[in-house]
Amino acid sequence: MNAIADEYASKNIGAVFLYTHEAHPGENVPHLTSMEQKFRHAQLLRDELGVTRRILVDSLDGACHRAYGSMPNMTWIFARSGLIVYKSDWTDAHSVENALSYFTQIPARRKAGERLAPFHVERLDYRNQERDQFYKRLEQNGQKAVDEFRDAFPTG
Amino acid sequence: MDNLLKHYNYDSFTPEKFEPWLNFENSPKTGSSAPDFPLWDLDQTATRLSAVWSQHDFTVVEFGSFT
Repeated sequence: MNAIADEYASKNIGAVFLYTHEAHPGENVPHLTSMEQKFRHAQLLRDELGVTRRILVDSLDGACHRAYGSMPNMTWIFARSGLIVYKSDWTDAHSVENALSYFTQIPARRKAGERLAPFHVERLDYRNQERDQFYKRLEQNGQKAVDEFRDAFPTG
Repeated sequence: MDNLLKHYNYDSFTPEKFEPWLNFENSPKTGSSAPDFPLWDLDQTATRLSAVWSQHDFTVVEFGSFT
């Protein structure tokens, strides 16, 4: 996602990471109890996971996250007017890149004289589950996080 | 409020604690106006989601956390 942000920055596309709540709290990265802690965890995202996009922090009660459906790692795309043009219940770089490739053509098409009207489309995309990386991340959170995920999803 | 904070920031990844929050089906629709909320930069400067989306032709917002 960082690479896509870099690639599309010159095409007037913004990209941010919005910090929500701890989906898999563990001994090393526990659940949130204060905004100060939430800012510290968001800094970990930048410093340890290498998120280079602007990181924004939601309120402690997750007002923004909850209004958008509370999925643990979802992606939304907004037009400058605030119109919602894309929503995905999981983040997948291929899917986002595909959407941006389409949306960035719109200003040029309008400039060329096309009369564009919005319409809705539903599509089932496919994401790489990256299981090894996911479990490595759970281990970083603490054994508690690993055990709870295995209990919740025994075949996961 | 305290109850909301406690339940949203659940302390264990167990179905009874995380499943009630998963509500994508009832989230705002594409083609509708996005709800606006206050947000904060890492230096704790206050901003809003609308201030972010209004800066570019399109803005990608990835929701997530360290864990």
